[in-house]
Amino acid sequence: MDFAKSDIQTMLLDSAERLLSDMSGVEYWREQRHRPFGFDEARWAQFAELGWLALPVPEEAGGLGGTIEDVALLNIVLGKALATEPYASSVVLAAHILGQADDRAAADEALGGIADGSLRIALAHQEDGADPLALEVGATHARPAGDGFILDGAKLLALDAPGAARLIVSARIEGEEGLGLFLVPVEAEGVALEAYPLIDGTRAADIRLKHVRLPASALLARGHRGAQLLGEAIDRASIALMAQAVGAMEAANRICGTYVQERKQFGAAIGSFQAIQHILADMFVAAHQARSMLYHALANADRPEAERAAALSAARLVIGEAGQLVSRNGIQVHGGYGLTDEYAISHYFRRLLTLEKQYGDLTLHVGRLGDHIFA
Amino acid sequence: MELRLDPELENFRQEIRGFINDVLPPDMRERQRRKVANNADVTDQLRWMRILNEHGRAVPHWPVEFGGCGWTPMQLFIFNEELYAADAPEFDWGGTHMLGPVIYSYGSPYLRERFLPMIREGRTMWAQGFSEPGSGSDLASLRTSAERVGDTYIVNGQKIWTSGAAHADWGFFLVRTDKTVKPQRGISFLIIRMDTPGVTVRQIPQINGEAHLCEVFLDNVEVPADQLIGEPGMGWTYAKFLLEHERTTSSFIYWSKRELARAKDIARGERRNGRPLSADPAIRARFARLEADLLALEWSVLRVLAHEELETPEAAAASVLKIRGSELQQEVTMLQVDLLGLKGARYFDVAPTPPPTPDEAWPDYVPGRTTVALITRAATIYGGTKQVQKNILARLAFGL
Repeated sequence: MDFAKSDIQTMLLDSAERLLSDMSGVEYWREQRHRPFGFDEARWAQFAELGWLALPVPEEAGGLGGTIEDVALLNIVLGKALATEPYASSVVLAAHILGQADDRAAADEALGGIADGSLRIALAHQEDGADPLALEVGATHARPAGDGFILDGAKLLALDAPGAARLIVSARIEGEEGLGLFLVPVEAEGVALEAYPLIDGTRAADIRLKHVRLPASALLARGHRGAQLLGEAIDRASIALMAQAVGAMEAANRICGTYVQERKQFGAAIGSFQAIQHILADMFVAAHQARSMLYHALANADRPEAERAAALSAARLVIGEAGQLVSRNGIQVHGGYGLTDEYAISHYFRRLLTLEKQYGDLTLHVGRLGDHIFA
Repeated sequence: MELRLDPELENFRQEIRGFINDVLPPDMRERQRRKVANNADVTDQLRWMRILNEHGRAVPHWPVEFGGCGWTPMQLFIFNEELYAADAPEFDWGGTHMLGPVIYSYGSPYLRERFLPMIREGRTMWAQGFSEPGSGSDLASLRTSAERVGDTYIVNGQKIWTSGAAHADWGFFLVRTDKTVKPQRGISFLIIRMDTPGVTVRQIPQINGEAHLCEVFLDNVEVPADQLIGEPGMGWTYAKFLLEHERTTSSFIYWSKRELARAKDIARGERRNGRPLSADPAIRARFARLEADLLALEWSVLRVLAHEELETPEAAAASVLKIRGSELQQEVTMLQVDLLGLKGARYFDVAPTPPPTPDEAWPDYVPGRTTVALITRAATIYGGTKQVQKNILARLAFGL
């Protein structure tokens, strides 16, 4: 067991710190909010130049073939800077599915686009009323037609879909068990997006699919394997988001530590009061335990499905609760200023709340782990 | 960064598991598993030390020259984990994990030769005399004095919370040898034989029916001067050393993991409306939280063992282990009590003869759970209260 970073990991982190430390803070975040997709496309191009977008893409497809640990370390820095770029969805999640897809020609072309920054892909899986962790769908279905398929259905809250050119749509294939995963161009006839912002400035969309005609090559995976692949990809995206949450918590703690030394009441810095000190100590404990659980999730990322899912849910549980403890107390020690858009802590609060809800919220992960313990 | 466990360690674990299975007497294991009291049977503890010592594994964490095994921190972690999982009697931690390391690090050749074998071979039980009635969290204010007269120290004062003092042959004490300097500078580390004239022990009746914690009165106790460890006035430094040396021990991770497994047995065994408690989603949710929190604690322990490079001092990470470790000991034991419902309120004598006979309504996991949970309220008090730990964290992690 070795927690030390490799030379490549250190270089990656240094480049990330260099680029993002200048592009962070309330001014920057408020600017991004007004951009069409909630982030700066020029910075996305820089991500590509630095090789970050190629990181989880397999070497055979022109990527760097980085490990999930590399991905997590980069995402800690992204989280610290509250980056709104769709890294977890368009890079981590999409690259994993495409890397294992049946039709290599189509998949490799898409992977090349992910790696060089020219193509963003979003997952459209969740449906209203469905369990986000269940690897099955209700309404959306695909009917074999000629050489291809016709897709119908509706999806909810497809994260980062507004800025994506293609979607990975999960659908039940008529007459088949399991799950079909389809690569669908957003501009295809019959695809309609209703885009909206989330409270952290990122974007999501509801999607209607009406008689969308797809060629056979659009099918990335099917049957049991389709479901399995989607589960793996979601868990990897979840790890990236947990890493962002850990980075966000550690940054929030630093901000609060500085604030309580500057803010004076009763003639003294509020950080000199034990009541405030103990709140900060609790925040430190929570963030420390959160990072420990990120390591636990990473150590189990390639284990068989049941153990991987249990480890991931355990991590989501600790990190989700820690994120709430840190951000809620973070606002509390800021007093009224914590509720303004002008102080960083309110941005961290909104990000950490959004992260806790993605790919299965706290309650769902508690349930999944509890069922695993007594399975 | 390599976070997966080295596959070689799995072989080591199997070897250790087989070893414990071979040498741990079944009757001893059964007594430890079914004990009502929180503390292990003293006779078993010493007998177990002797068995381990016969195989050279009584003090594996010591340097090889003093009888250690030369294992890596991960190997020691696995060894401890397997001991607890197998219901082996606990070490007499005062001797093996506190005094021993202080003696081999700072003690004279005489002290090393005299006391290290005694500890290693399970010949003695040890009492730790740090706290005083007026010096708890503010330990540096301690007043028990040791005055040098020729070749002896004359010790006067009072200690409290001295665990196991009634059964201990020897004790190690923090005493004030210099009243003229800063409080921390005037403290020394002294070994005292518990049957020395002037030493009086009073057992304190506890919340759980045990009387393990004691008061120790020292009245003109004459102690040979060569039983002072290291330099006079350095006791505070040595005490801090032993706490830092054992900074992952305070997590109680092995113990809590064993108790979580026991809680699962209770959840499967106890029924409500004909269904096991383990089928109840609310119970499952409680287990999920506890299991996840213990995994986080375990990884935090591994991070300290591997000396992960951190932006904050390592002592901050150690305080996290103490805070979360003590809280989780309390959570797991209270979960056990809660699972038992009103059965958990039944009083069991801590030293029953004969032991309670289990039946269907009163399985052998019932006696002891509440006894242990009651005294586990101490976990957030001893060794630096939770609040003192938070003060430390505010300073180390935030500079407050």
